Amino acid sequence: MHMKRFLLGATAALVAGPALADMTIEIPFVAEIAGAPFACSGSYPGLGSTATTVQLLDFRLFVSAPHLIAVDGTRVPVALDQDGAWQIDTIALLDFEDGTGSCVNGTPQVNATLRGTVPEGAYRGLEFEVGVPFDWNHGDPASAPAPLNLTAMFWNWRGGYKFLKIEFAPVMAAGMNAAAKAHTEGAGHGGPGGWMLHLGSTMCAAPEPTTPPGEPCANPNRVAVTLPDFVPGTSIVVIDPAAVVAGADLTQNTPETSPGCMSFPNDPDCNAVLPRLGLAFNAFPAEGQQLVAMR
Amino acid sequence: MPPFARLARVAGRGAFPALLLSLAALSILAAVLLPRDAATATQAPRAAPARPAVLDAFRWPMPAWMPPPPVPDDIAMTPDLVDLGRHLFYDARLSADGRTACASCHQQELAFSDGRQVAVGAHGTVGHRNSPSLANVGYMPTLTWANPHVTSLEFQALLPMFGTEPVEMGLAGHEAALFARLAADPYYAKAFPAAFPDRPAPDLYTITRALGAFQRTLISLNSPYDRATYAGETDAMSDAARRGQALFFDHRLECYHCHAGALFSDNLQTSRSPFPETGFHNTGLYNIGGTGAYPAGGHGLAEFTGVPSDMGRFRTPSLRNVAVTAPYMHDGAIATLEEVIRHYAAGGRTIPDGPHAGAGHRNPYRDSLIAGFDISDAEITDLVAFLESLTDQDFLTDPTFSDPWPDGHPARANRVMPLN
Repeated sequence: MHMKRFLLGATAALVAGPALADMTIEIPFVAEIAGAPFACSGSYPGLGSTATTVQLLDFRLFVSAPHLIAVDGTRVPVALDQDGAWQIDTIALLDFEDGTGSCVNGTPQVNATLRGTVPEGAYRGLEFEVGVPFDWNHGDPASAPAPLNLTAMFWNWRGGYKFLKIEFAPVMAAGMNAAAKAHTEGAGHGGPGGWMLHLGSTMCAAPEPTTPPGEPCANPNRVAVTLPDFVPGTSIVVIDPAAVVAGADLTQNTPETSPGCMSFPNDPDCNAVLPRLGLAFNAFPAEGQQLVAMR
Repeated sequence: MPPFARLARVAGRGAFPALLLSLAALSILAAVLLPRDAATATQAPRAAPARPAVLDAFRWPMPAWMPPPPVPDDIAMTPDLVDLGRHLFYDARLSADGRTACASCHQQELAFSDGRQVAVGAHGTVGHRNSPSLANVGYMPTLTWANPHVTSLEFQALLPMFGTEPVEMGLAGHEAALFARLAADPYYAKAFPAAFPDRPAPDLYTITRALGAFQRTLISLNSPYDRATYAGETDAMSDAARRGQALFFDHRLECYHCHAGALFSDNLQTSRSPFPETGFHNTGLYNIGGTGAYPAGGHGLAEFTGVPSDMGRFRTPSLRNVAVTAPYMHDGAIATLEEVIRHYAAGGRTIPDGPHAGAGHRNPYRDSLIAGFDISDAEITDLVAFLESLTDQDFLTDPTFSDPWPDGHPARANRVMPLN
């Protein structure tokens, strides 16, 4: 279907003549968990360092600055359709949750493609970032255009948006998450009811939480993705967090830190996670990103 | 911040005709150029009415940084409509006992809440829920504490008027008498035709549309927090409030995960939202007998979905004006903000004995982000100071929203009000 649409767009551009020598392009994405198609109704065994069975509460991410690589090696930006909903400037929100099942506070609307145009030509290779560019990341979400006005992806003002929001809920018994059993007695952080992977910029210097930083954050935490073998109209981009969290125990949370890994430098639960997003984290050097692949 | 030119360029929707696109851009331009307390916006991007878009221009009582609330396609906001709605809102003749107006549970000085633990309706009927504030209610994609199906203010207005469990205004079966009562009033005899030239009589359609239109204007965005954040008046917030703000937006307390964005709620729909967002959470307020149960009649979203794990899930309230809307939670169970913060610090409320005994932090349906945190007394004081900085005194005293009926008028002579 994607191939068909791609060819159709290219044909339309051809017919329109040289004045409109752009072709439409649609870049399809799929969400998977350890190779299995993601669904809000699914449970997924064997995740993390303790091979936990999990359900997912959310699965959304921002991608930005998509470029196709022309056969001569030129990086050509994809001009995203400005659709007033999912895509703005060079940014798109990919939303794989549909508000059903365990995705309890999600939205029925989903979005799994980038839609735009590139100059007519032959391409092989795709590059983009997971994240929101600095210029857009620290503005006021109240006045921002869609999709940057969705509360689900707000973080704190200073840090900008959640770039990646994939939330795991360990399954302890049929239909019940681990909240009750894992939580320790008394006040303070106990074990997690959910293990949240929230990626965003950190250490963004600003005088107040509501003031945008004047210069780039110390940890921008945008993930650069390069898929040199991507063939427009044929290839599919796969987002799969299983390898990213393979070294993390999804049933545990370090006391006095956010549940799961929310990118904050004080959180050891990110030690084994952020490096696998291609990001250095404290003393842990970046590895190759393992979130995004293609086929 | 993205430059304005970029915002204007992208403000329209690609699929819309060029005319609508330019109208949308014009409305944004107007919003930027007009004084901050008088933004104007057309509804062009949302509805595509046959009438010229310029007739839809409505002066929203709000700053330019926030998009206006969405307006249903069959409604054109006009001053006449809003004025009619305001009169109806304060009119106790909208009840079976002649004493209960909308305002009887939604008083302006309390940000249109009532200070009671739970609402009190016609004939003194004690309700089930804490009366929610109506500040910014036009931005809420669902109304009431937990019903996901009440998606417009117009529909919602029917619930207090005609609901029987509990009785709120007690009008079930009495609508003909209601319409006659209103039609006989000299103000309404002019106001209904002015607001509805094509449908000039009081009926369910016109009454609910007018009530919805008035409530949509109840926009509260001028607190000390707003003046500090949007007008650069850093002195508007005390040092304690600013320390509390830092705590609020810090990941240790996680407040902002659910209390997000301009309304401090993960429920939001503006005229520029691509679609509504809703959030319902079990915060561990109860865990009766360790089963996760909430008290009968207060099961939250589960009452409407029948899904067991929706037990205790209620809509995240906005925190705007929260300091004047005590007591708190869907059933008014917690009296003060300090106690609310301690409830979240504990990751849920423990009730040691009695019929509701249980450890809320062990509620199996509790939201994963209610994880608990350590907090000092000084930090609680600061956090409360921040929440107090969300109180918009202008909103609480704005004569635009006040009782329009003169002293002794039948609309208010017998009306019960929460304060005095």
